[in-house]
Amino acid sequence: MNEVIQKHCETVIGQMFERCHETAPNYAVSSECFAKSLNNTLTRFSNSSPSQLTEKDASDFLGQIQADDLFMALACANGNERAWWEFDQQHRSYMERVARHLARTEVDATDIVDSVYEQLYGTRIVDGERVSKFATYSGRGSIRGWLRTVIWHSLVDRHRAGHDEVSLDEMTETIGEGGAHANFAEQPSGGDSDMVDHLTRERYRKATVSAIQGAFDTLDNHEKLLLLYYHVENMKLREISRLVESEESPLRAWFQRKSAAREKNPAGRIHESTVMRWLEKCYSKVLLAFRSNLLAEGGLNDAEIAICTQLATQDLAGNSFFNNLSVSKSAAEVSN
Amino acid sequence: MENEIKLNPQELQIQGLLARYLTSNTNNAAETGHIDDDSLSAFVEGTLNERESTSIVSHLVDCGFCRHTTAELVRLDLAFAGEEVPARVETAGEPSRISEVLSGIFSKIFGTTDAAVFAHEEQEKEEKKETGETE
Repeated sequence: MNEVIQKHCETVIGQMFERCHETAPNYAVSSECFAKSLNNTLTRFSNSSPSQLTEKDASDFLGQIQADDLFMALACANGNERAWWEFDQQHRSYMERVARHLARTEVDATDIVDSVYEQLYGTRIVDGERVSKFATYSGRGSIRGWLRTVIWHSLVDRHRAGHDEVSLDEMTETIGEGGAHANFAEQPSGGDSDMVDHLTRERYRKATVSAIQGAFDTLDNHEKLLLLYYHVENMKLREISRLVESEESPLRAWFQRKSAAREKNPAGRIHESTVMRWLEKCYSKVLLAFRSNLLAEGGLNDAEIAICTQLATQDLAGNSFFNNLSVSKSAAEVSN
Repeated sequence: MENEIKLNPQELQIQGLLARYLTSNTNNAAETGHIDDDSLSAFVEGTLNERESTSIVSHLVDCGFCRHTTAELVRLDLAFAGEEVPARVETAGEPSRISEVLSGIFSKIFGTTDAAVFAHEEQEKEEKKETGETE
């Protein structure tokens, strides 16, 4: 960050501090403490991309900070009684409701809230300083959103502690609404095809697997994430639209930029139908790349491509085309 | 009711293939560490700047754990949507009354009695003293 931008940020941070201090003078947060926290966050923001930070970038970034929440968090991290009292008044019952929503029993929910309070206060002493979880809150999101995340992770850690070997699927299936449903393939049934058919099927299978992998890889990360949310995390359209609800959401901005026909009201709520259109575009893109891969790399003609997709579709009903994906990959490497 | 995506037959086939491929090929281990709580919550709320979110989106594509966490956080967000943060309490709040409430909180953290709270504070002072002496 150059000196001009640094100076500008100092001014903005100073103004933010004055506003917060005026609202909560009893929190005893010093301007140095406030500035230090924001400067650390600003530095991380600046370093998150190789492109030069502009004054506008910095202003916009600071403008989005939840300054009042941050002020309270800093005061609590410092052990300020007034801040702790207000935090408890404003957020404890909410935290209890969130914990009850996630936990299996009332006792578990209470334990989780107590555990989170312990983390927030900080029971570890490092170099003579109490380490409070509040110190990790930057103000980029709301404090309630942050608390939900802390509660969620506490529950996951607690669940892990109670099980020796827990797969991600087992752990997440029992926590919250949707679990990660790992749709592992069934073993193929004993084929009644003769050897020639088997070899042909195997050729088509490898080509299809390779083509779909290649097609997926051509997508941008935002598109991949959208598909993963829909197919792997089983997120509903309304849940995905919630994720992109904020006008500042970078996911939303990315998809809207890619949309040839801009939505009539880009600042409005993202409807489920819009998410549907984004998904449709992804499928079209994958389909094109898939066919292109089969033609170019698989050396297949149109008729064979149709056979490939037909076989794969049939296999979806029973056997899995993607059974032993890692095995097929290594086998392909060996055969090559 | 969930809106259905209306796709042509070829797109339907691709959708099925993709679904199968993605669910069979979930890679849950990101090579770098997981995303911190602060960044995760900001991402879910849509308040992360695009500059910061590029690396996060890239991580979420590779890391099933973090991605699943964000999915669950969105669901949690929806479950509690519309709840407003209560306004700040403006009462003067006599210090002694504030301390009573805090004692209740700290007794849960450190033990069942105020003595345990004060004992902890004494321990902090002693540790600080020891550190000072060592240095």
